[in-house]
Amino acid sequence: MSLLRAERLNKSFGGVRAVQNVSVAVPEGSIFAVIGPNGAGKSTLLNLLSGVYQPDSGSLSFNSADLVGLRAHQRVRLGMARTFQKIRLFRQLTLLENVLAGFHIHQDLPLWKCFLPVAVGRFREEARELLAFVGLEARARERAGALSYGQQRMLEIARALATRPRLFMLDEPAAGLNAAEVEFLLQKLTHIRDKGATVIVIEHNMDLVMNVAQRVFVMDHGVPLFEGTPREVQSNHQVIEAYLGGEFAA
Amino acid sequence: MTDFLTLILQQSVNGIYLGCLYVMVALGLTLIYGVLNQINFAHADFVTVGAFTAFFTATRLATKVLGMPDIAAYLVSLVTALGAGAVLGVVVSAAVFAPLRRSGADELRPLIATIGVSVLLENGQLALFGPVPYQFDSPLARETLRVGRIFFSAHSALVVAVSIAAIGALYAFMRFTFIGKALRAVAQDRETAGLMGINQNLVIALTIVIASALAGVAGALLGPVVVLTPFTGASLIVKAFACVIIGGFGNMEGTIIAGLLVGIIEAFTVQYLGSGIIDLVVFAMLLAMLVLRPTGLIAERKEENV
Amino acid sequence: MAAAPWLITTPYWRGILVLCAMNVMLALSLNLVLGYTGQLNLGQSAFFAIGAYVSTILIKTYGWNFWLAALAAIVAAGLVGVALAAFAVRLRGHYLAIASLGFAVITYQVLINWEDVTEGVRGIYGILPPVSDTVGLFYLVAGIAFLIYFLLDNLVRSPVGDTLRAIREDEISAASLGVHSAVWKAFAFGLGAAIAGLAGVFYPGFVGTLVPDAFGIIESFTMMAMVIVGGAGTMIGPVIGAVLLTFLPELLRGVGELRLMIYGLALTLVVLFMPGGIVQAWVAVRNRLRS
Repeated sequence: MSLLRAERLNKSFGGVRAVQNVSVAVPEGSIFAVIGPNGAGKSTLLNLLSGVYQPDSGSLSFNSADLVGLRAHQRVRLGMARTFQKIRLFRQLTLLENVLAGFHIHQDLPLWKCFLPVAVGRFREEARELLAFVGLEARARERAGALSYGQQRMLEIARALATRPRLFMLDEPAAGLNAAEVEFLLQKLTHIRDKGATVIVIEHNMDLVMNVAQRVFVMDHGVPLFEGTPREVQSNHQVIEAYLGGEFAA
Repeated sequence: MTDFLTLILQQSVNGIYLGCLYVMVALGLTLIYGVLNQINFAHADFVTVGAFTAFFTATRLATKVLGMPDIAAYLVSLVTALGAGAVLGVVVSAAVFAPLRRSGADELRPLIATIGVSVLLENGQLALFGPVPYQFDSPLARETLRVGRIFFSAHSALVVAVSIAAIGALYAFMRFTFIGKALRAVAQDRETAGLMGINQNLVIALTIVIASALAGVAGALLGPVVVLTPFTGASLIVKAFACVIIGGFGNMEGTIIAGLLVGIIEAFTVQYLGSGIIDLVVFAMLLAMLVLRPTGLIAERKEENV
Repeated sequence: MAAAPWLITTPYWRGILVLCAMNVMLALSLNLVLGYTGQLNLGQSAFFAIGAYVSTILIKTYGWNFWLAALAAIVAAGLVGVALAAFAVRLRGHYLAIASLGFAVITYQVLINWEDVTEGVRGIYGILPPVSDTVGLFYLVAGIAFLIYFLLDNLVRSPVGDTLRAIREDEISAASLGVHSAVWKAFAFGLGAAIAGLAGVFYPGFVGTLVPDAFGIIESFTMMAMVIVGGAGTMIGPVIGAVLLTFLPELLRGVGELRLMIYGLALTLVVLFMPGGIVQAWVAVRNRLRS
C-alpha cells in the first residue's frame, strides 16, 4: 500500500531542471531512502513533497489526497512532517518550547479562551516524553542554541515528531554527526518506523541507508536512475558509475 | 522646434538632473545592501550631514576665512562633504555594523540600530543647527545656461557632471581594481569570498565608506536646491528607497535607471501636484512595487535556500 | 501605582499619568507585533491616529455616543491592521519596514490633505474626554491598560504565544510544523492595531484638540524605543519602557530638545549591547547577585 505517490514530477528554476520526470511510490510503514550524488535534486524532491515548492507538472498524492496546490503548513495537518538539511530550530527558545511549538496542529483551544488564564499544561508531558526519546530531557530548559550540532539535529527530530506524523521526511539527518550519533539516529528511525510511521530519508551516509532502508531510490542530475532494495542498488552498475563518474567528472 | 517638443525636452532635462541627485543618494544604499544585506536607515541623514558640511565650508570657511572666490569655495565644499560622509561611514561601520556582525545578529537588529542612528543624527543636527532653514547659495545656481531653447542652471550641469564622474569612477573601480572585484565577490557570496582570502570586514568597511562618501557629495550638490534643515535628508528617503526597490536591492544598474525614472516622473508631475502629494505618489508606487515585484524591475530572483 | 493620582496633586503631573497609561497601551500593542511575532512595523502610529480621528469625527460630526464611536474606531483600526498584515505576509524584514514606513507617511498625508473630513492642519477643537475629571480619566485609562496587559499576558502564555514566537524565530520551520503564518500575522497586526486604536480613542479628549502632527513617524519611533529599551518580547519590558520614556522627558526638562537624540542613542546602544533591553539587564544583575 503506497502512502505517498508521485508521478512524473517536474521542477525547474530558471533554466535549471532540478527534478525531471520523477515518479515514486512509497510503501506505508517502510523506510524509504533517496540517494544520489550532490546536485542530484534530492532536496528539491523533498521540498516538492513537503510543499515548500509546487511542481511545474506531475501529480502528487498522500493517502489518496491530492497534494498539488496544498501549501507546506496544510500538508502537516494531513500527517506529513519534515526536517531540514540546514538545521532550523528556534534558537532563542528552550528545548521544551521548541517541542511544544510542534504541537501546534493539535491545539484545539478556541481563540477567545487564550485570552484567559488557561491551564496550559496539556502537551507538556508528551513534550517531555519526546525529549526523553532523543535523550535530551535533562536539558529541557536550556536554550536550543546552546546544544551541540548532533543534539540540535535530535531536537529537530523530536519537535517534528510532536506533529504526530504518519510520514516523516528527513533531509540528510546524518550529515555532521559522528559515528555514535549516527548509530543513535539509526535506532531512532527504526523505532519510529516500528511505531507505524513511514519514513523518507535523503542521505549520503551509505551505512545508514543500507542498514535501515527497505527501498532505495537513486537520482542523478534531477533524473531518476534506479529503484530497488539496498542490495540491488549496491550492485547496480549504473548507480556505481553515477557516483564514481560524478566524482571524477566534477 | 514645436512648443510641445520643447516642453518635453525641458522637463526631461530637469528630470535627468533630479534623477542624478536621487541616483547619488540611492547608489550608496544599494551598495551597502549588496555587501551587507542590510538597509542603512541612516543613509539619508548622511546626506544631510554632507549638505551642512558643504554649507559651512562654502559660505564660512572657504570664503570668509580663506578668502576663496565663490565658485572655488563651492567646489572645495564638495570635497569636504565627501570627506565628512566618509568619516561618518567609518564611524558607523566600526561602531554599529561591525559589532553586530561579530555577535551574529539577526536581520532586525542592525535595521533597528540604523534607525536609532538616524534619529540620533537628525536630532543631533537639530540641536546644533536649529530648525530654521539655512540659505545655501551656490553661485552656480544663479547662472543659467542655454542649449537651443532648453534652459538649465550651471548647477544642474555640475550635478550631472559630478554624478557621471562618480558613477564612472565607481564602475572603473569595481571592474578594474582588485579591491573592486573583491567587493563584488563579497556581495555575491560572502562565505566563499572569505574562504578565498578576501578580508570581508575590510571590504565591507570600505563599501560603507564609499557609499557614505557618495551620500556626502550628494548632500553638497543638494544643498543649494532644497530647503536646508536637519530633516532634508529624511525628506528624500522616500524617493531613495523607491529607487532602490524599483531598481532592485544590490543592483547598481537598476538603481541608476530607477533614479533617473523617479527624477523624470517628478519633473513631469511637479507642476500639477504639490511635493507632498508627489511623496505620496512615489510611496504608493513603491508599495505597489513591493507587492507585485519585491525584487525590483530588473533584479534577478534570489531564492532562499531551504 | 493605583494610589499615585492621590499622591500626585498637580493637574499637570496627573495628566502625565494619563499619558503614561496610554503609552503603556501603545507599547504593548507594538510589542505584540514586533516583540512576539518579530515583524518590524514602523507604522504603528497610524493606528493610534485612526483610533483618534475616527472616534473624534464620529462624535463631533455625527453626534455619536463616545463608547460607540470608540468601538467603531477600534474596529476600524483593527481592520486596517489586518490589511497591513497583507504586506507582512509577502515581505521580509527590511521590505516590511519600508512598507510600514510608507503606510505611516501615507496616513499622515491623508490626515493633512483630506481637509473636508479631518480639518487637516487646522485641527479639531473642543474635544471632551469621556470623564472630565483627570483623576477619573486616569483610573479609566489605566484600568483599561491593566486589562489589556492581563489579556495579552494570558495570550502569550497560551499556545497562541508559542505560535507567534515560532513565526518570529523561523517562519519556514514554523510552516513545517503546520503554522499558517499569514493568518497569524494578520491576527497579530490586527490585534496590535486595535489596541493602538483603543489608546488613540482617549487621546483627543485628554489633549482637547486633535492635529495630525501628534501622529507622525516620531510617534512610531518613540513607541519602538519604548518596546526595545524596555525589553521586546517580554510583557513587563514595554511597560517599563513606556513609564521610563513618559517620565524621563518630564524629569529632564532642561534637555528638552535633546530628548529624541537621547532616545536615538539609547536605542542604538540597547540594540548593540543589550538587545533584551532593561529586562535583560535586570535578569543578568539578578543572576549575578544569586551566584
